[in-house]
Amino acid sequence: MPGAGRGQELVPSSFLIPPSQYQLPARYAARMLGVENLTVRYGTHLALEDATVQFAPGTFSAVIGPNGAGKSTLLKTLVGLNAPTAGEVVFTEGGSARDDVAYVPQQQTLDWAFPVTVWDVAMMGRTGRVGWLRWPGRTDRERVADALRQTGVYKLRGRHIGALSGGQRQRVLLARMLARDARVLLLDEPLTGVDAATQEQLMALLRAQADAGRAVVMVTHDLEQARRWCDHLVLVNRRVVADGTPAEVYTPHNIEATFSSSHLGHTHAEA
Amino acid sequence: MHLLTDPLQFDFFVRALLAVVLVSVLCALVGAWVVLRGLSYIGDAMSHAVFPGIVGAFLAGGNLLVGALVAAVLTALGIGAVGQRSGLKQDSAIGIVFVGMFALGVVMLSRAPTFTTDLSNFLIGNPLGVTPGDLWSALGVTVLVGALLTAVQKELLLASFDPTEARATGLPVRGLNNLLLILIGLVVVLTVQLVGTTLSVSLLITSSAAARLLARSLKKMIGLAALLGTVGGVVGLYLSYFLNTAPGATIVLVNTAIFLLALTLRRRE
Repeated sequence: MPGAGRGQELVPSSFLIPPSQYQLPARYAARMLGVENLTVRYGTHLALEDATVQFAPGTFSAVIGPNGAGKSTLLKTLVGLNAPTAGEVVFTEGGSARDDVAYVPQQQTLDWAFPVTVWDVAMMGRTGRVGWLRWPGRTDRERVADALRQTGVYKLRGRHIGALSGGQRQRVLLARMLARDARVLLLDEPLTGVDAATQEQLMALLRAQADAGRAVVMVTHDLEQARRWCDHLVLVNRRVVADGTPAEVYTPHNIEATFSSSHLGHTHAEA
Repeated sequence: MHLLTDPLQFDFFVRALLAVVLVSVLCALVGAWVVLRGLSYIGDAMSHAVFPGIVGAFLAGGNLLVGALVAAVLTALGIGAVGQRSGLKQDSAIGIVFVGMFALGVVMLSRAPTFTTDLSNFLIGNPLGVTPGDLWSALGVTVLVGALLTAVQKELLLASFDPTEARATGLPVRGLNNLLLILIGLVVVLTVQLVGTTLSVSLLITSSAAARLLARSLKKMIGLAALLGTVGGVVGLYLSYFLNTAPGATIVLVNTAIFLLALTLRRRE
């Protein structure tokens, strides 16, 4: 069904980025991480069933679906926080790839009253690189300063994180992610609670990270933003409903199948 | 001035004073993490769970500190194991393990009828009974715990603030948690001599909670907790001397008052 439903676009075409960016550069040649036949259950609750997806370097992927569709479950399983009930997480570049995955949680899952400053949070991104029993050095401080400048919160570095707006908090979390310097970036709902202007900047920043060769994976329910900025969409509703380029995936049929009230996932479509 | 210097002519008072300062600093170091990670309940559990270790060491004629430490390690690992194997939430695991351990201590105690007077000391504590040996072990533990916590500070910080990212970074989140539980057990054992098990949690948490209300960074929070804890300990000890009240409980009351003061100060901000 590639290209289907062009006439029924939900987004004005002026929002679209150039078609060249929809191509998947070497996506299957250099697969970086993914899941194969993944099923995750929490007790009796089936969160995700028989999902197979790959995420590639140089690609900005969006995992899209309604609440309870298993989007966050997918990310957490990639990180190693959930154990697969069946199936497996695959890293093609060796088992050590796991510590090369940066994770940005949903803002509201963090405790913003925590006694740390903007600088402290960004420096947390260096924890793994600094290593055990060592203190951050000059390189680490430069990286952190650089990351804070890129996300536009360098001037706020001495502030307590509780004093920040939603957009500023997200910028700080992205700064931590940049300071981490990981090859795989996983973000859970980075656009939630963020103003429109900041959303644009965050998306451009993530796009640039993908263009620089990283695998960027964002969980979101914002179809329009995902379609504008990403070159790989995965529609999820307990199962993988569709997986491919925006042109392939963004069809009325797939969207209906993903966001219809049914959570049973019986409308499984092959992309 | 005589009011302040008078009690100092007694060796037991000087020892108590030193012990209170040491333990306050120690409690601030560990208490900061207990408060930040929402582990207050575990602190309480730990104070009960070390009981069989203390009774066992007493019956065997061994070192109480070592006995309690063994119990603390077993409890920490037990909570983790029960939580993982059963899939129950951690609060259930804590409840099961600590009540079980405490009951074990009570049963062991009932086999040793002569222990009862020492039991009251164990439950209530008495800073004025601190021996020079106790002081040295308190100093040793403070240095050890301080060094350990400083060594893993940045890892603990990330694991406390954002466990998921900590996991993604490859940190042993569960191992850090166990380390913290064991250190809590160790600190509880030391504070037992001063304020007894039932009040030891207060020493661990109250000053740190007050410091958290006022401080904006971790370093300031730990420093402030140590300062508030020391002030509370010294003031409480002098008050108990002049009012002839139970020293441990008096210290806890002063700490509680300091916490309430911090709360009103913050409200005004």
